[in-house]
Amino acid sequence: MMQPDTQRPQTVSDDVTLMPPSRSPWAETWRLLRKNRVAFTGFIVFVLFFFIALAGMALTSGAHPVLDPAQVRLQEKLRPPLSAPKLDSLKPEEIPPLGRYVLGTDDLGRDVFARMLQGAWVSLTVGFVAVGISVAIGILLGGIAGYLGRYYIQLGHLIYWTLVVCAIFLALAQSLPAALLCTLGAGAGWLFYYRRRRHPDRPVAKGLRWLIWPAISVDALIVRLVDIMLCFPSFFLILTVVALLKPSLFNIMVVIGLTSWEGTTRFVRAEFLSLREQDFVAAARALGLSDLRIIFRHIMPNALAPVLVSATLGIASAMLTEAGLSFLGFGVPPPHATWGNILSDGKDYIFDAPWLTFAPGITILVVVLAFNLFGEGMRDILNPKLRERN
Amino acid sequence: MNIRRLLIFLPVLVTSVLLASYFWVPSYEAQTRGNPDRLVQFITASSGDAKYLNPILSSDSASSQINGMIFEGLIDRDENLNFRGRVAKDWRIYECAYFYVNDQATTQRWGKLDAAALARHLNQELVGKQPDWQHLKAVELLPPQSSTQSHTLGQGEEARAIEVRVDAPARIRLTLDKVDQLLFQRLQTLLGPNYFSTFDPTPLVHPSVELPSDQLQALARQMLPATVHNPIIEFQLRPGVRFHDGREVTAQDVLFTYNAIMNPKNISPRSPDYEPVQSVEVIDPLTVRIIYKRLYSPALESWGMGILPAHLLNDEALAVEAKAKGIPAEKFSLRQSDFNSRPIGCGPFVFQEWKSDRFIRLKRFDDYWEGAPNYKEYVMRIIPDPLTQEMELYAGTIDDYNVQPHQVARLKKDPRFQNFSGTSFGYHYIGYNERRPPFDDPRVRRALGMAIDVKKIIKYVMYGQGEEITGPFPKQTDYYDHKIPPLPYDPKGAVALLAEAGWKPGPDGYLQKDGKRFAFTLITNNGNPIRKAILAIAQDAWKKIGIQVETDLLEWSVFIEKRVNQLDFDALILGWSMGIDPDLYQIWHSSQTGKYQLNFVGFSNPEADDLIIKIRQEYDHAQQVRYCHQLHALIAEEQPYTFLFVNRWTALMDKRIVREVRAADGTIAYKPITPTKTGTYTFYFNQWVKLPQAPTFEQ
Amino acid sequence: MLSFLGRSLIQKLVTLFFVSVVSFLVIKLAPGQPSQIDPLNPKFTPEIVERIRKVYHLDQPLHVQYLLYYKDLFTGKVVSWRDERPVLGKIWERFLNSLPLFIVGTLLTWTFSFPVGIRSAIHRDGWYDKSTTLISYFLISIPGFFFAYILIILVVTKLNVPVIDMQTFGVTSASPLVHFMDRLWHLVLPSVLGATGGIAVLSRYVRSQMLEIIGQDYVRTAKAKGLDEDRVYYRHALRNALLPFVTMFGMILPGLIGGSVIIESIFSWPGMGRLAYEAILGRDYPVILTINFISAVLVLAGTLVSDLLYMVVDPRIRLE
Repeated sequence: MMQPDTQRPQTVSDDVTLMPPSRSPWAETWRLLRKNRVAFTGFIVFVLFFFIALAGMALTSGAHPVLDPAQVRLQEKLRPPLSAPKLDSLKPEEIPPLGRYVLGTDDLGRDVFARMLQGAWVSLTVGFVAVGISVAIGILLGGIAGYLGRYYIQLGHLIYWTLVVCAIFLALAQSLPAALLCTLGAGAGWLFYYRRRRHPDRPVAKGLRWLIWPAISVDALIVRLVDIMLCFPSFFLILTVVALLKPSLFNIMVVIGLTSWEGTTRFVRAEFLSLREQDFVAAARALGLSDLRIIFRHIMPNALAPVLVSATLGIASAMLTEAGLSFLGFGVPPPHATWGNILSDGKDYIFDAPWLTFAPGITILVVVLAFNLFGEGMRDILNPKLRERN
Repeated sequence: MNIRRLLIFLPVLVTSVLLASYFWVPSYEAQTRGNPDRLVQFITASSGDAKYLNPILSSDSASSQINGMIFEGLIDRDENLNFRGRVAKDWRIYECAYFYVNDQATTQRWGKLDAAALARHLNQELVGKQPDWQHLKAVELLPPQSSTQSHTLGQGEEARAIEVRVDAPARIRLTLDKVDQLLFQRLQTLLGPNYFSTFDPTPLVHPSVELPSDQLQALARQMLPATVHNPIIEFQLRPGVRFHDGREVTAQDVLFTYNAIMNPKNISPRSPDYEPVQSVEVIDPLTVRIIYKRLYSPALESWGMGILPAHLLNDEALAVEAKAKGIPAEKFSLRQSDFNSRPIGCGPFVFQEWKSDRFIRLKRFDDYWEGAPNYKEYVMRIIPDPLTQEMELYAGTIDDYNVQPHQVARLKKDPRFQNFSGTSFGYHYIGYNERRPPFDDPRVRRALGMAIDVKKIIKYVMYGQGEEITGPFPKQTDYYDHKIPPLPYDPKGAVALLAEAGWKPGPDGYLQKDGKRFAFTLITNNGNPIRKAILAIAQDAWKKIGIQVETDLLEWSVFIEKRVNQLDFDALILGWSMGIDPDLYQIWHSSQTGKYQLNFVGFSNPEADDLIIKIRQEYDHAQQVRYCHQLHALIAEEQPYTFLFVNRWTALMDKRIVREVRAADGTIAYKPITPTKTGTYTFYFNQWVKLPQAPTFEQ
Repeated sequence: MLSFLGRSLIQKLVTLFFVSVVSFLVIKLAPGQPSQIDPLNPKFTPEIVERIRKVYHLDQPLHVQYLLYYKDLFTGKVVSWRDERPVLGKIWERFLNSLPLFIVGTLLTWTFSFPVGIRSAIHRDGWYDKSTTLISYFLISIPGFFFAYILIILVVTKLNVPVIDMQTFGVTSASPLVHFMDRLWHLVLPSVLGATGGIAVLSRYVRSQMLEIIGQDYVRTAKAKGLDEDRVYYRHALRNALLPFVTMFGMILPGLIGGSVIIESIFSWPGMGRLAYEAILGRDYPVILTINFISAVLVLAGTLVSDLLYMVVDPRIRLE
């Protein structure tokens, strides 16, 4: 896959001076990553963490897990790390399978090691799902804005969709007369467009001409939408929604995802705007390829790498956000253990049982740091302007 | 280079200015040692800020704590949980009882006679007669009376007002100097067992519209009840008690406080407590009389409510404030008044300053009627984080906070601190659904309780912070009968008892009866590790005597909504937190066994019902205690719950804080702070002082 | 210029309107009721709940509630449901408490980020660059409250001085200097904690801007001409690298009203973050909505200021 001697300086300079880039972009990236020691360490931790999380899920889930993170042993509470259980007071199923409490026990006598393993998986899920949602929304909206941004939306369309949304909302809020009114308006709108589709050539009646006035471009609409979202302070918004909806694993993932897509959207939009003008896209268009094919086969792969980098950083920040929510009591609720809630539950015992604070605290620090360093290293690597000149 | 230097100079400057400030901060020693003022200041910590500094509007704990310092009620509980007078110097509870003369009935003792004759007989033969009628002070005859009253029929949307003409017959008023719930029963021995029940008011009531006969009858019984008890509390106010602005507290203020609570504009959360009140009357500036609609002894407790100053909050005062704020007077109520953020009461501390989410500062009231407190200042700091609260305690910048048991355990040996613990007001239990066999058999319930080792639960699960309990009353009150022994831990006895009830070991080792295995599900809510531990222990203990127990942990809302409220469970683990008053109506009366009611175990026992009613109608403490002991014994016998244990509360404080007791001759004695039955250690707060050195007490 | 101003003002107003609608809907359509009228609270009988609903207009249809609330907001009459005190007064009080934190935090961020970022760009991949990179990422990666606890415990146990609250509680010394310094000391830890993230991000940004400029031909030419390196970096390069940061001043504006709940709770700082947080907990809708509205106004004003600054500093940019 790569030459082991790329580290040697003269080979590197050879690469630049003598050889045209003959490697595939992925191999080139890998080579640069290997060179960037900090980012590479981040990458190793990233991969390691991924496998630990998988192992954690395997070991701690199911009806009879190998390591039961929920096993309460009140008589064994706050035992320090590596202490041996007092076997005489425990029932057979309560004895930790490793023979020791590797990371000690918490205030309910649960095995912190088992909880950390389970938490690895849950924290990873929170990070990945939340960022997955935000990236999906970001790519979709950013792609639309970047590629189809020049299309205009007619005033009538705007009114029509506003009415539809209002009708749904009002129906949900159970104010039926208003919902009915909105539905009537939307019905009229639907009739109007139905007839226009049936007879596209027929001119629009004079009194209704304002309906087809091109009010706003798709691009502007999406940019405005991003502006609206940016007006909400994000942590405050997440907190409000989680507090009002009751915290649950699902809610937290979705809410973090739904409130952090603005950056990706802007980013993808800019990327699409510039790629759209490039020659290879023009060529593809000249070949008569469909828009969808151009978007997904030609533009997306080029825009994807930086998006993935920002997603890596996003996972790091989602994990921190979850920890912050846990501190305020709005984190993932039990029985799910996450590093955030182990940390925030443990802080009350910082003098009695420092391992309850330090084990999750340092783990979060290391993993988030690894994600950040890896992401940042990749950003440097993928940014040709900042790429080191040798 | 200039720019380069500037770039380096600026952060260095900012940093050094910030760090230099360190040298001006007083260290902990400097604050506590070198500052004599600190010794006369009591600082407590609360995790949340107060909302309304007005006792009739507040319902959160921070507000209540401050309101308890600023305001004072007519009465409160002393260290033995008996009532004692505060703003009220003394009070008298007596009653007026009424009954309508029943023309149709023939009395047992005097035969048929008219109203005047009946009144004469009662007067001559009963008033003051030992032993039964010694409390009867007067009998009067009230002449028949006709009146027209308006009445609302139906409820909510369908409510409509009608006019009713009532021709009330002659009525007899009995005045007693003591409330006597058995009065009419005793009268029946003279007047005949059916004298009251045969009184038919229906022909005497004439509504303006036609009503079906059953409705008419109900209306008539409501408007002309055959017998009525009107308990009366007459408070004699202490002369010379003053509000912080110097105005004397009078009966008008008591009346005003009551009216403010009942005023619908104020939306007071306390108003349900005062529903049994019929009227409040001012007799003279220092006497106020409260007349109740019916016998309801828990009502006395409600007069611990802080008294508001009428002169600052009456309609004129509010109108002035509304005008100053530019709000129409009809839209302005006590809720909006600035009084709620700078209150004036008559308690031991005067409001000084409130910085929201930082602190509330009170200073002592030098004219406090009982003598000013020793502390000059009382401060509540708002510190949301429990860990920083702990750090501040070490620092000496707070004196008291809501300490966690594990912190007490760690700091117990620390010579700087003293700690307290005491019995709290909440208990844990296992409840059985008596609608479902075999839980309808008291022997089965008793056997299940005997199989559980409560002492072990207390030792291991509670770390000793619990006490066994045998019945439904708070353990530190007189109502609790300490003579009732707890269920013994006796699995063998349990097996024998179950055998007696027909449950014998089957071939598979499980108990069975008529071919059916003894199996049920025990449930509780998740999120409470103590209940979860009890769940596991109970399951294990019952398995050992041959009962198959499934367990289930449910989310709180599901647990309450779907199982408890719908009465869909076999057995459950829960806890009750109790008030001091022994009224058990909601939890144990057989009328409260429906869905969404609190007697969800379905306990129903006519004898217990009778006692429960008698307890809530009895005004005599000794008699009430006797009834309570009977009820306690009955419930312990029936074992509707397996009563497990009550928690103990814990607290921690600087050792230098002691009680300073000033004798009449001016000598000062120091006493250690001790917890009282009231569930706290702050009972003698006004005598507390902080000494420069912790004193040693003789044992 | 004027037409640009006019157009962007209208645009911002429209955005603001949508923000107000969205925030109103988010709060109103969430399940549950404000705590004062929570039917599960045993203190409140159904009649009391009904009365409270009426007082707070909760029995009205949504759009009426919306209009009533914004009418109250613009006439300054909106009151908190928690204690019936005017919301604007409460926010102003908290704003004054949060302001010193904001100022010191911003000062720290801006004074530290530049020298650190520039130096690590100049000595790219040297030990200085690597260690500052690592430290910056360390600072963004550590969970804020974990860091705060460690700092508090260190300071309190090692230095024996208080760090909680806005000033040492019960300091009675009359000297204004002592008071000032005491307050300053209490600002140190929370503002440092608040600024760490900012320093890390901003210094990375400065670094990448500088790197980009240093890579430009004119800088290389200047260096090649034999000009003093410091002069090249700090005069020629820095001036150009600074351009984008001028516009960032506008972005500071929203920070005025956003305090960190976590830092404020730990340090018992009575700031904006806690006000908002407690409003959320108590479902004090007027307070939540007002804070949200003001912060949206500040965000929009901030972008406007940025745009204007951009026009001022970079004549190449024309905003049409």
